[in-house]
Amino acid sequence: MNEKILLKEKISDVFDALKGENDIIAPVKTDWGIEFRQIENPEDIALDYLNSKVPPKAIWLPKVETLYEYEIDGKDVKIKTPPEKLGKKVIVLGIRPCDAHSIKILDTFFKQGSFEDDLFQKRKENLSFIGLGCNSPRETCFCTSVAGSPFNKQDVDVFLTDLGEKYLVETISDNGEALIQQLPWLEDSSEADIELAKEQERLAEDSIKTQVNLENTSKLLDNNFYNAVWDEISATCLGCGSCSFFCPTCHCFDVIDENDYANHRGRRIRVWDTCQSPLFTLQTSGYNPRTSQKERCRQRLEHKFCYYPENYGIVGCVGCGRCIAYCPVNNDVRDIIAKVNNIEPRTEEAGKT
Amino acid sequence: MTNLYVPKLTTIKSIVTENGANDIKTFELVFKDDNDLNEFKYIPGQFAELTIFGKGECPIGIASSPTESGSLKFTVKKMGTVTAALHNLDVGSTVGIRGPLGNSWPVEAMKEKNIVIVGGGFAFSTLRSLIEYLIADEYRSYYKDITVIYGNRSKSEVLYKSDLERWQQRNDINVVLTLDRAEDGWNGKVGFVAPIVKEVAPSSENAIAVICGPPIMIKTSIPELEALQFTDEQILSSLEMRMKCGVGKCGRCNVGNKFVCADGPIFSRAELKQMPGEY
Repeated sequence: MNEKILLKEKISDVFDALKGENDIIAPVKTDWGIEFRQIENPEDIALDYLNSKVPPKAIWLPKVETLYEYEIDGKDVKIKTPPEKLGKKVIVLGIRPCDAHSIKILDTFFKQGSFEDDLFQKRKENLSFIGLGCNSPRETCFCTSVAGSPFNKQDVDVFLTDLGEKYLVETISDNGEALIQQLPWLEDSSEADIELAKEQERLAEDSIKTQVNLENTSKLLDNNFYNAVWDEISATCLGCGSCSFFCPTCHCFDVIDENDYANHRGRRIRVWDTCQSPLFTLQTSGYNPRTSQKERCRQRLEHKFCYYPENYGIVGCVGCGRCIAYCPVNNDVRDIIAKVNNIEPRTEEAGKT
Repeated sequence: MTNLYVPKLTTIKSIVTENGANDIKTFELVFKDDNDLNEFKYIPGQFAELTIFGKGECPIGIASSPTESGSLKFTVKKMGTVTAALHNLDVGSTVGIRGPLGNSWPVEAMKEKNIVIVGGGFAFSTLRSLIEYLIADEYRSYYKDITVIYGNRSKSEVLYKSDLERWQQRNDINVVLTLDRAEDGWNGKVGFVAPIVKEVAPSSENAIAVICGPPIMIKTSIPELEALQFTDEQILSSLEMRMKCGVGKCGRCNVGNKFVCADGPIFSRAELKQMPGEY
């Protein structure tokens, strides 16, 4: 590994050097907070941020994605696919380690089973991450409890550490090496720079005060599907779905036809959906296996902290804390897990009838 | 690039109205491209996603058997947006299809065994597929006794009337039909499915029982099978959940850590007991 130095005023030079064959997506300040957007003007790049409100998930799993388009001609139908360019390379600049890790979780999910999701895979293959260490984790962050850290570098290609007036630049992957070669003007780093970066990392990790103990959570969730704790956990939940909308690892989607009746054509799209809505599982007959918010709250927790570990050996959470920060009734997943952990152990295989 | 979500195109070749209420029809579909037909290799018990362009997609069990080559059959009750639109289509119209999807009736594991098939109402389509498969010339010798118990509320609700007649004329399959209440001109049994299971009393010896129907029928029939010493491993059923993608990606049909579309829809009673009862 050989570390370089990037002066902050030279961020626009990075943009100019890399924009040729890549779309550059980076955090931008908007009226409603920080958002990841495609950059046209490098002055818009805002790397002095805590984290974006909506995760950058939309880059690899768009909120609305066309699956195909169709044209209806009497009794005949023509299908057009693929409807949009998926080949363009994309660099996400300034992504946080938690969000960078989330794509690994989605990748595990979209690859499992007999079918691979090619739309997701194609987007993922074209992605490069220039990550940014998290000097100031938020009060809601708990990445260190889910195998992450504010300076986790394993999921990015290049890693930046904010040293005040400049960034320490570390090359992590071969792909990152190729990017760095396009920036030959980067300056060399000193021992002091590297020491300062290590100090930032230590301070950041120390600043995360909450630890969530997940040691027995999966087993407890498996054994306590019908426990009364779910009444308590779901009592204040409004079912608004903010937790899943803002979640970098929530990937469930709806499939809808958008039909242009006048012109006999349309497109089939998939859109972000949420298990917190009663419509999610409502059957045509009117029957719904998840009748109340209790079942829907339980599903979200079980999915991330029980089914993910059982099926794929990983936790479906990166500890970004967005579900805590944006819950309108201040439900806190850390408290919910603590409540689950406090369920009295039961000896029999309970609740599976 | 292959795209999981793009359907193949078929044409409706024939439409049969199955019931007196005129809300259940069997659609026979033929692929527009012969390659698609060759690639569509399925086993009884699997389903497919049918698309009515502009309306949407819905998962339907395949009612035909792979032994009836050349076309696919789907028996569809008019229920929601997509099925209502399908019911409005004529012969010659285009229907999109993705599949085959899901697991299947375990036709390999069923070999050298006695097969008991218990069905009720319109949940009989993948059972029809299974029966046609088991009695096909090329497969019949692999299976031992085949007993079919099929119940309905009334005569006009009985599906696949001509198939049932054909099966009843054979001596290598025992087909027992029952109606909830007696009707004029009915030659079969009268009574709910559960007591008929008790009366027919198929042996559990070296047997597999397959059961599909309304929840109340399943709930009442399973104790009868258990009384005949069928174990949880010997009783198979098919689950239904709301589905969208059908390939285990959209995330809505899970029961516990299983996706009904990809891990199911067919589970043994032993497997179901390991899953939460959220279905």
